[in-house]
Amino acid sequence: MSLLIDLQNITKVYRSGESEFHALKGISFQLFRGEMLAIVGASGSGKSTMMNIMGFLDHCSTGNYFFSGHNVSRLTDKELAVTRNQKIGFVFQSFFLLPRLNALQNVMLPLFYREEPEALARNKALAILKKVGMEKLIDHRPNQLSGGQQQRVAIARALVGEPDVIFADEPTGSLDSKTGEEVMKLFLHLNQEEGRTIVIVTHDKGVSHLCQRVVALKDGLIVCD
Amino acid sequence: MPACCCIKRWANRMRLINHVQEGLANLLSSKLRSILALLGILVGTASVVAMVLGGELVTNEALKQFKTLGTDLLAVSVNDSDQGSTSGMLNNLTLPDIYALQTIDRSIVEAAPYAQLYNSSQFNGHELNTSILGVTESFAHLVHLGLASGRFISTLDGYEFFCVIGAKVNSQIKRLTYLDAVGQQIQVGKNIFTIVGIAKPWPENSFVYADIDSTVMVPILTSTSLSKYAAINNIILRLTPDANIEQVQTNITNYINQHVADKRLFFRSAKELIAHMSAQSQIFTVFLGLIGSISLLVGGIGVMNIMLVSVVERRREIGIRLAVGAKRSDIWALFLIEAVMLSLIGGTCGVTLGVIVAYIMAVCWHWEFTLFFMPPLVGFTVSVAVGIFFGYYPAYKASQLDPIEALRSE
Ligand SMILES: Nc1ncnc2c1ncn2[C@@H]1O[C@H](COP(=O)(O)OP(=O)(O)OP(=O)(O)O)[C@@H](O)[C@H]1O
Ligand SMILES: [Mg+2]
Repeated sequence: MSLLIDLQNITKVYRSGESEFHALKGISFQLFRGEMLAIVGASGSGKSTMMNIMGFLDHCSTGNYFFSGHNVSRLTDKELAVTRNQKIGFVFQSFFLLPRLNALQNVMLPLFYREEPEALARNKALAILKKVGMEKLIDHRPNQLSGGQQQRVAIARALVGEPDVIFADEPTGSLDSKTGEEVMKLFLHLNQEEGRTIVIVTHDKGVSHLCQRVVALKDGLIVCD
Repeated sequence: MPACCCIKRWANRMRLINHVQEGLANLLSSKLRSILALLGILVGTASVVAMVLGGELVTNEALKQFKTLGTDLLAVSVNDSDQGSTSGMLNNLTLPDIYALQTIDRSIVEAAPYAQLYNSSQFNGHELNTSILGVTESFAHLVHLGLASGRFISTLDGYEFFCVIGAKVNSQIKRLTYLDAVGQQIQVGKNIFTIVGIAKPWPENSFVYADIDSTVMVPILTSTSLSKYAAINNIILRLTPDANIEQVQTNITNYINQHVADKRLFFRSAKELIAHMSAQSQIFTVFLGLIGSISLLVGGIGVMNIMLVSVVERRREIGIRLAVGAKRSDIWALFLIEAVMLSLIGGTCGVTLGVIVAYIMAVCWHWEFTLFFMPPLVGFTVSVAVGIFFGYYPAYKASQLDPIEALRSE
């Protein structure tokens, strides 16, 4: 298995006026291609912060971040955007679909920013929606879909750009246990059948048990791998 | 290489179309607000277009008189100078003086002297509201006065008691008799004049002071014999198009002062008048445009306000877009295109409304309506510029949002 993400002593400091808050206090961590990883920890332990840095949504304060061999600690905003678009797929707790767009258009959005021709993007999006079992509801808007259905569309959106890794921040947090299980099954399928690299931030013991590897955070430090 | 370029340009165009489609969808999703913002731009653009176009129409109306009259005219008013005022009518200009005058400068093409009198006149014992104008044969030709019937005063009329009446005089007479005015007689003082012609209506003109429509035109020699105050005190000259007006004026002044008497001359040239009027109306138009621009400014602030609200409301959306890989420039374009589209639609409607308003003004004040190209173009351009100017800051603000904070906001 090849190394995908290599964090070396990453810290993150939030400053608000005089006071400083150390959200991450030196994280060193490696993620390999094909892994399915769960990040667990108490609320406020820095899970989302770590995921945002790994997902190019945020800069770290100090430390080095290597993504498939390249040092990406100091990328410009534009480079971050392009990397997010091409290498990363996000799934969020509250889905974060654009309310005015239908399921298909939501899934096509990353390809739109990649400047793919519309017809090609459409075909790709349709194929992915079929994979997550949403092919019958492609013209529904988010408010016409159930939570589980919305999360499937969100997963399709994360998948459509063929990213290297998918980051999911509490993907089952807003779902009841049954739909949550279905979503987890989908993740497991993607990992085991298609070999996709998946990182899931979760509170749910049931979720973390399904993952082959679990990392626990406490007060900005990794306490158990 | 060119093929690659072409594909890239095509992709960019697709992108713009997509952005425009998105912007339109976003604007439609908050219709009321969009309409309010649009209304500001619409009213602003309409007032700019209506005012500037109205100004142009007024100018056009003022200059129209010269279109028929020609721009090569020079009017000379002859007044007694203060010292010579006692010398009386002996020193007045005579017709031979005028004929001589025509030869002193090669740029003088034609001269039409006239004498104005304020004697009263009667028709069949009824008082007419007229003044008397002593004219020569060339007068009608020079001021483009047409004849409705009969003939004009001729050089051969000499001291005869013939007259040509203006259009309004004719209508006064029509009220008094059913007969055709030509051949009838008008009494001026103790003299009886036979009407030999009726002039067509003549548009009033700031260049010739006389209101020709309400005058009785008589041979100039006859007019000078009517009253001891009668004198040839006005001359209208037609010059060659390339005439040096200043030079002509000096020549005339010198000639009259040397050969006739010490006179004070006042000149008015059509070219000067036009230049003066154009300059004034330009100031007027710019002024009106500025007033209109203030409302456009207010409209622009409206757009900015609504775009700022929209940015705050759509922070979550911006965060999502950033998370799936939108560049800052994409977010910037998204909002700027929306603002520009607002002002584009507002501007288009505003230009239309402005032209309609100008048209209504033209109808109300009996101006000739011409759709000048500039005012709508200016209105349109300015409204789009306003959209870009006032949309720039909100769009910039949107593009500078931090992805995580944007995602976190409700
Ligand atoms: N923008 C910020 N400014 C200041 N402090 C912040 C900011 N973002 C996060 N923090 C702090 O950093 C710490 C870690 O936050 P983070 O969101 O990573 O926690 P988490 O482990 O994801 O918690 P949860 O399970 O509740 O989502 C928290 O204590 C939080 O208060
Ligand atoms: Mg979190």
